[in-house]
Amino acid sequence: MKLVGIAGSIADQSYNRTLLNFMSKHCKGVADIEVLDINQVPMFSQDDDQTNSSVIQKLSNKIKSADGVIIATPEHNHTVPAALKNVIEWLSYEIHPLDGKPVMIVGASYHTQGSSRAQLHLRQILEAPGVNAVVLPGNEFLLGNVKTAFDDNGDLKDQRTIDFLDTTLQKFIKFAKVINMIDADDYEKEDLSATGKTDTTVEGVDMDDPDWLNKAAKKVNAVEGNTYVKLDSGLLTVNQLNYMLKTTPIELTYVDENNQFIYYNRFLPTEKMLAKRTPEQVGDSLTTVHPGKERVIKHVKQVIHMLRSGKTDLVSMPVPGGDSDHHVMHYYKAMHDEEGNYKGVNEWAVDLKPIVNEYLKQTGQMLVPDPNAKVDATSGASKKPDAPVDATASASKEETEKEVKPEVDATSSASKH
Amino acid sequence: MNKFIAIVGSNSNKSTNRELLKYMKKRFQSAAEIELVEIKNLPIYKKSADKYVPQEALDIANKIEAADGVIIATPEYDHSIPAVLSSALAWLSYGIHPFVDKPVMITGASYGSLGSSRAQAQLRQILDSPELKARIMPSSEFLLGHSLQAFDENGDLKDEKIIKQLDGLFQDFLDFVNISKQLNNANEINKQKAKEFSWDKD
Repeated sequence: MKLVGIAGSIADQSYNRTLLNFMSKHCKGVADIEVLDINQVPMFSQDDDQTNSSVIQKLSNKIKSADGVIIATPEHNHTVPAALKNVIEWLSYEIHPLDGKPVMIVGASYHTQGSSRAQLHLRQILEAPGVNAVVLPGNEFLLGNVKTAFDDNGDLKDQRTIDFLDTTLQKFIKFAKVINMIDADDYEKEDLSATGKTDTTVEGVDMDDPDWLNKAAKKVNAVEGNTYVKLDSGLLTVNQLNYMLKTTPIELTYVDENNQFIYYNRFLPTEKMLAKRTPEQVGDSLTTVHPGKERVIKHVKQVIHMLRSGKTDLVSMPVPGGDSDHHVMHYYKAMHDEEGNYKGVNEWAVDLKPIVNEYLKQTGQMLVPDPNAKVDATSGASKKPDAPVDATASASKEETEKEVKPEVDATSSASKH
Repeated sequence: MNKFIAIVGSNSNKSTNRELLKYMKKRFQSAAEIELVEIKNLPIYKKSADKYVPQEALDIANKIEAADGVIIATPEYDHSIPAVLSSALAWLSYGIHPFVDKPVMITGASYGSLGSSRAQAQLRQILDSPELKARIMPSSEFLLGHSLQAFDENGDLKDEKIIKQLDGLFQDFLDFVNISKQLNNANEINKQKAKEFSWDKD
């Protein structure tokens, strides 16, 4: 489970941050808690809307892609710190990342009250229609007399307090799972017909036009040939870029955030590809590249939704029906800009078997069956082989039913970027 | 004549709470001198080792000290007072205590029908905290709902019933301020206690 923690204080020294850091350290293995920084958030003002600033977008994206949020609040003047309220105001004005999000409130204070009144205010605030978070009821965690609560390593000293925090956190994790199930079929909203548009969508050219590439390129005055393109760590001409991509021995596909298939590195003729693409398909919406394949469409929607919502950053699947000479893998990696906004899928298909063979040959080893191996060692999620979800081209012949589970850590090998 | 400081609880240029206070200043000019104070330029409250308080907050604190009472007009953001007002009150209780025993009248305006009711309830609790310890006028709610439609082009309230209510409440506030002036036996010790209290001391 992926959680984010927000410490309500921007003071240089904050026991609420210490508490969150302790929780993050203490519950490793149960949940992955990333503590967010709110120090640079400007004062909320309707007259100076900074919703699109990088600091607020980053916070919003982190919250959106988390399974739940833990807020640790001190108490000041019987309420939450202005700095915390300020963040919530930005996150309830033009954007609403906390909407429907499971939230757990904890708090630490110097006094015996342990932020009791601030926590009640915070509950009211999170209830407001613009915020609309789903706060864990009951389970108040009030840490009073905080000055003496932690040891030098930032660990809570009292075992009973730790035990109570554990119980509360366990309940919250279950609560978050239940709440998130309400939105579990959200993937249905994924628009594979690419009827939306993004800031890079080329308008005025039919996506399904076989000559989309040339027409769209003309429309945007795309550079080509020996024109230089400045990349983040290099300078290449368009030709040089092509030379490199066309000799990269992995099939790469770019599907943008609008679910439009806009590129693949054509280094093989279509019939030899692991995931078959044709030049005429470039520009197509994902619906067009999967004509009449209801089940595939559903799987593609699930995969893209998981990547877009940040439930995972990588989905990997073996293609079933391989023989001893082939083990084809499909990988789907979410791409993001600097502020964490979803920018589409980088899909690659690769046959791992030749790589394994090469390794065995070079090191003088051989493969033997592992008597203890579980079936389907690659994806522990299900016992039956998984169907590939080729987000772009029509998937292979065997399209066995595969439920992509919302808890995807098992199928994916990475969950952070 | 009593002198009141009126705090505009919003940093928005187009604030109906500011409009309300301007209207009160005009309407009650023969009964009291009301000075509007803006908090929009104050930074977000942040504790520091040297207990720094911005000059602008000190200036506001001095005005409140010298005044006979304070009127606050608050909007409602997310069921509570705006961060900018919360932040201002935090500065105004950080090593300085201008609100201790100071009579305060709470008002508020909102675009919707509720007129900032929940923000006002929270504001009462906040002003009641040990470092602020204001003397809030009891059982007196002034909630101005649908505030965008409430004023005419001269900035005057249109609804006679609402004006009557405000007139009554303001008269109550004047009486409350006068009574409050006599209730100052514990003022010294209250100030001392506020000074000694700190959210980060035990």
